[in-house]
Amino acid sequence: MFSARFIALALLACTAAAHAQSAQEIVAAADLVRNPQAPYRSTVTDIAYRDGKPVDRNVFTVYAKIDPATKQFRDLVIYVDPPRDAGKMVLFRGNVLWFYDPASKDSVRIPPQQTLTGQASAGDILTENLAVNYTATLLGAETIDDAGREKRDCWHLDLKPANDGATYNRVEYWVEKITAHPIKAKFYSDSGRLLKILYYRNYTPGLGGVRPTQAVIIDAVDSALVTTVDFANAQYQDIPDAWFQRDYLPHVKAD
Amino acid sequence: MRAAAFAGLLLLLAVPARAGDDIDRIPPLGDDKPADAAPDANRVVYLQNDVSLYARRTNLAVPLPPSPAASWEERLFADARLTFPLGNAVSFTYSGRLNFRADDDLPFPSHQNIRHDLREAYIAWQAGGGAFLEFGRINLKSGVALGYNPTDYFKTNAVVEPLSADPSVLREDRLGTLMFLAQKVWDGGALTLALAPKLQRPAAIGAPLPSFDPLFDRTNGRARVLLKASLTLFDDVNPEVLVYSEAGRTSFGLNLTRAFGQSVVGYLEWSGGSRAGLVQDAVASGAPPILPHDPARAFRSDLALGVSYAAPFETTFNLEYHCHQAGFSAADWRNWFDTGAAHAADPAVTGALWAIRGYASDRQEPLARGSLFARAAVQDAFVPDLALTAFVESDLRDGSGIAQVAADYDLSRRWSAGVLADATFGARRSDFGSLPGSLSVLARVSRYF
Repeated sequence: MFSARFIALALLACTAAAHAQSAQEIVAAADLVRNPQAPYRSTVTDIAYRDGKPVDRNVFTVYAKIDPATKQFRDLVIYVDPPRDAGKMVLFRGNVLWFYDPASKDSVRIPPQQTLTGQASAGDILTENLAVNYTATLLGAETIDDAGREKRDCWHLDLKPANDGATYNRVEYWVEKITAHPIKAKFYSDSGRLLKILYYRNYTPGLGGVRPTQAVIIDAVDSALVTTVDFANAQYQDIPDAWFQRDYLPHVKAD
Repeated sequence: MRAAAFAGLLLLLAVPARAGDDIDRIPPLGDDKPADAAPDANRVVYLQNDVSLYARRTNLAVPLPPSPAASWEERLFADARLTFPLGNAVSFTYSGRLNFRADDDLPFPSHQNIRHDLREAYIAWQAGGGAFLEFGRINLKSGVALGYNPTDYFKTNAVVEPLSADPSVLREDRLGTLMFLAQKVWDGGALTLALAPKLQRPAAIGAPLPSFDPLFDRTNGRARVLLKASLTLFDDVNPEVLVYSEAGRTSFGLNLTRAFGQSVVGYLEWSGGSRAGLVQDAVASGAPPILPHDPARAFRSDLALGVSYAAPFETTFNLEYHCHQAGFSAADWRNWFDTGAAHAADPAVTGALWAIRGYASDRQEPLARGSLFARAAVQDAFVPDLALTAFVESDLRDGSGIAQVAADYDLSRRWSAGVLADATFGARRSDFGSLPGSLSVLARVSRYF
């Protein structure tokens, strides 16, 4: 009796451990789907819709490269459009963020939380390995509708911050079982309030894999607001590490 | 938009969301509008029209000598920042502004109605391996603070007729310095050397502005050398140290920033060196020696210590303490006001007194030895694309100060409009309360190309 209960508990513990490990692996596999692991650049267009009508449009060029020390992406975001913002840049290097304005040739360090502001926050266009910044727990299997209302068999995961690089206090994440395609995510504030719902869609072959080329961000606070973020013209590019230094920003010439 | 967000939040709390509601809000694929022109981040051109109204104090503690004092100003300008590739690793950058202006104290038509500000014109060569060589008029900015930058050594005499008292605008509307710049940037830091030769005699305090002149007498009136190095010690600690020499006077500088959690960044900007006080410096630069002044030099520090806080609702707050040991002492203030009061009817004396303040203003040096600076900026305030900013700077000695509020609204992808108002406040014998300008209002509209 005792030994049977012990074995059952041991099996349960082993299963839980396996789930914990596999949850992190699922998130890491989904990271590989979303993000090419070699340095690359892409054109990112975000369009804000209010009550279904496009009201704002921004275009950025994003350069992304993994920091070998942290395994997290460093990003250089260059504003391209609208014209009033052309040439402005945001440098993301872990928890260190600099905003550069070519008009004043001035770079100002900004708090990480500031990446969450704006209709399509800068945080939404960044390349991020979630498995690095969050600890995942498997909540179970779930069949959900994707953005096109197709049924997807997913792992339902709960992500909690693992370090200071995590922007959100909690993320719910749905990853398709067979393909490891990220399908949906929900992002929560420190107070536990749902901030936004995100769907990945328009999976297209590119940069050595089949990757989502659009993220749809549904504002959970402002019910009229939806933002789409399109990733286009992605191509591998050798990006020197120096690009991710504040002093390099005045020298960056957008392609 | 924030009000709508609040309303949305209340609705969210009151009514349970129906499963699947979120997908109904997703726009169909391909439902976007392309830009009407191929955007280019290396080319920013815009046309702006500003109309300003000014209110002035009467019964000043130290009267201004007779001089033009406009009550309104109209300014139309074309502004361009352009970078042209000249080869694989060589580029040419031009940044400038062509101003057409009129006011009720300016003869029309006259050469003063038109002025070109050549902010930058330089050739850059990317030598490879993160090495850069640049030559020409370059706006080299240093510092991490917002309201006052002690280590921004090339700011002196560089601002020409600014459109706003906001320090961030002052940094946009300034001339670069003719210099040779060499820089090496690598993953762990950067090393920068700037050599700026003396080209002309320094401009006289309050000298009139010619229409078409690079104004090298303002930016290259003295030989200057700057060496600065930044090093990434840890991921979040990236100090920058500076050594600056101007006319035999050497200063040292330090810039530090650090994040405290997700919402707060702290920063420190310090500069120190052997120098005389402000009155002596003004006299040495041509101001009449009307006040007691001590030529003795001492090690004096400048400091900006501040925090930036990312608050909810897309709001950012900055709070800074500024220290300027070379600023006016209590005795300097007493002398300035007493001399002005005793010779109020003598334009030569009052002109000399205002020349000292003009010298400080040209060099962007505060008169105050200690001051507080607070700034708030809100994006998408109340409605999308409306940005509100406000700042106040106050002299800690007498409580006087300057405050400004500004609203900018993006009418479309290419059109923007804005309005700003600033006011000085304080007692008649105070730092800001003694200034002639009490209130100004500016309305502007911009068209980007």
